[in-house]
Amino acid sequence: MARVKIPIGPQHPALKEPESFRITLSGERIVETDMRLGYNHRGVEKAAEERTYVQDVYLLERVCGICSHSHSTCFAQAVEEIAGLVVPPRAQYIRTLIAELERIHSHLLWLGVAGHEVGFDTLLMYSWRDREVVMDTLASLSGNRVNYGMNTIGGVRRDFTREQLDGLLKVMDVLEERTKYYIEVATQETTLINRLSGVGSLSHEDAVSLGAVGPTGRASSVDRDVRRDDPYAAYKDLSFKVITDTHNDVYGRTLVRVLELMESYKIIRQIVAQIPDGPVTVKAPRKIPAGEAVSRYEAPRGEDVHFVKANGTDKPERVKVRAPTLANLHSVSKMLENNNLADVPITLAAIDPCFSCTDRMIRVREVSGTKSEILSWESLRLFGIGWYLERGVDFSALNARLTRLEKK
Amino acid sequence: MANEETIRQELTAKFPFMADTIVVKRERRIFAEVPAERFMEVFEHAAVRMGFLNLCTITGLDEGENLAFFYHLARNDGTMLNIKMAVPKTKPVIKTVSGLFPGGVIYERELVDLFGAVVEGLPPGERYPLPDNWPAGQYPLRKDWKPEMLDRAGFSKGDMNNG
Amino acid sequence: MKFMKKLVTWARIKSPWIIHFNTGACNACDIEIVAALTPRFDIERFGILLKGTPRHADVLVCSGPVTRQIEDRLVRIYEQMPEPKFVVATGTCACSGGVFAGCYNVKGGIDTVIPVSVYIPGCPASPAAIIDGVVKLLTTLEGKKLLAAEPAAGEASSETTEAQPNG
Repeated sequence: MARVKIPIGPQHPALKEPESFRITLSGERIVETDMRLGYNHRGVEKAAEERTYVQDVYLLERVCGICSHSHSTCFAQAVEEIAGLVVPPRAQYIRTLIAELERIHSHLLWLGVAGHEVGFDTLLMYSWRDREVVMDTLASLSGNRVNYGMNTIGGVRRDFTREQLDGLLKVMDVLEERTKYYIEVATQETTLINRLSGVGSLSHEDAVSLGAVGPTGRASSVDRDVRRDDPYAAYKDLSFKVITDTHNDVYGRTLVRVLELMESYKIIRQIVAQIPDGPVTVKAPRKIPAGEAVSRYEAPRGEDVHFVKANGTDKPERVKVRAPTLANLHSVSKMLENNNLADVPITLAAIDPCFSCTDRMIRVREVSGTKSEILSWESLRLFGIGWYLERGVDFSALNARLTRLEKK
Repeated sequence: MANEETIRQELTAKFPFMADTIVVKRERRIFAEVPAERFMEVFEHAAVRMGFLNLCTITGLDEGENLAFFYHLARNDGTMLNIKMAVPKTKPVIKTVSGLFPGGVIYERELVDLFGAVVEGLPPGERYPLPDNWPAGQYPLRKDWKPEMLDRAGFSKGDMNNG
Repeated sequence: MKFMKKLVTWARIKSPWIIHFNTGACNACDIEIVAALTPRFDIERFGILLKGTPRHADVLVCSGPVTRQIEDRLVRIYEQMPEPKFVVATGTCACSGGVFAGCYNVKGGIDTVIPVSVYIPGCPASPAAIIDGVVKLLTTLEGKKLLAAEPAAGEASSETTEAQPNG
């Protein structure tokens, strides 16, 4: 059977695109995937060396627009360790609170994106509507929907009142109710289950050897979560389950995320109940003494690792950021092996790629003896939906039913 | 910190040259520095015999005359073993660890692009993270590199075919 | 809300079709642009449609500080759009490079590469600000025929306005 290589471009098919993924097909089955990354490379690590530590907190927050708090906290932790600062407990709790709120909005965002990729658009509308509840909460707590600016070296910049904290409990009630519905959809709607099962499989052994992290790894039984294994912020005082799953596929990755949402609500309730009084920051020196530290953090996408080296000045000697998506990208080739072209969008979406944490863009190139065709991401997404439609996976009834429910 | 002490003792017993350079900085954080020619033995022992199955990343450092590389390993109990080794900038040759950690390839490619490291045994593949027409010999994360060097190399708008 | 009324008026005349392009952003602005489509903000009820191809688009909504890799592609997308066309720089990075100004792989704001009609600051620009920016663009064109290829399009592009975050 002729081997055909398919490129997928992020924009218009006719534009000469740099290829990010070069997929080789045999018929409709994927034989091989090559990755080419680097389009979002901005030079943050170099920039970090030319800015002060405090400036870097704000710079690193903007590495990624979804896990901004993850990066700024991970960085602050490393610097605080080098400087020997003891961050006050109340600040640790506040960092944890924002961290979990970030996880919630990220997982809800993912749910919507996943729905969109398979044609289940009502899920996108529902989950992003719920996500707005979280965005409102974050905005009222921090002043911004994204990029909260909560962290400083030595603690957090804002404190919360008792009223604000208690107000969170009602928000958790609402979100829990809605998330229970998503769990129901994920575990009972056969259309969704059929669409996601067996897609993008990654065995446990491969997940370990390729270094899969976060929900992607946990869906292949990789029982790792930095919050439990290498606790930071207030996590050692909090009780929560690490969700793992044995499906090894996109369906598993969906289950892990919706169940993690429930754990996050539990964590936030504990924070509201347990948060100690006290100061929210400790004074940090402008010049950080020479030293090195490695900080780890469980971002919504997985393990985030920052290495910081200080040299006694007010600017770091070196800042290294290993964002979770980079670790998960290795696994994508493996996941796509023997899948259909139609599975590419959802499989990639299922690792929850934060390409700006890493670098972006998917491109699949078609090259063969006979055919040459370029597909855009959107056309591949529509191709996938159409392909599955022909095989009986049809979300239109589900979309219609849920839209009617919403209008009640 | 029994766990960290045990690790330190095991490594020092097996590799006595590590005695002076292995430090337990705090719980779950061990740092060590090893000579380049002994690095692979230590690394393999940690990965294969001591359960450090997670290669978090590899950090490159420009230390003036040398390029140093920190290999950040982690274990399921949360302990991290951070092993540093250095090679001269004039001959920055290291060996790939992708035999043990297939995922490590992307971290090694970063070292090649951003520091000018030469990684022996690195499987062929696309570079990362710099574009295809990045001028040769320019390593952005080296301390002596400035963005102006890019413009001087005539690297301007028309050159970015990769974009 | 006055701008809503103006927007509705405008939508009746012409539904602007938008193409969204990320030139190396952290994704925060991109998510806020997509959020503008979701029920809370629901930009689609005004006929603003997100299109996949520049050939059918009136407005290019751009985020991100232009990375060197993406510069060429940005220019080509702009060139593919039919006249009259307008560019909305969304977010501080698109306006000026933001926190990434000076980074070795970053050119700067969108206007270092293509002409910009509207600058929407914010880090990220909130959906309300994005809607406000698009509305401001549309209201500056009120009275000008959008479908005919006119030199007026060039004049419109050089008018720049700044959107307010609290629409």
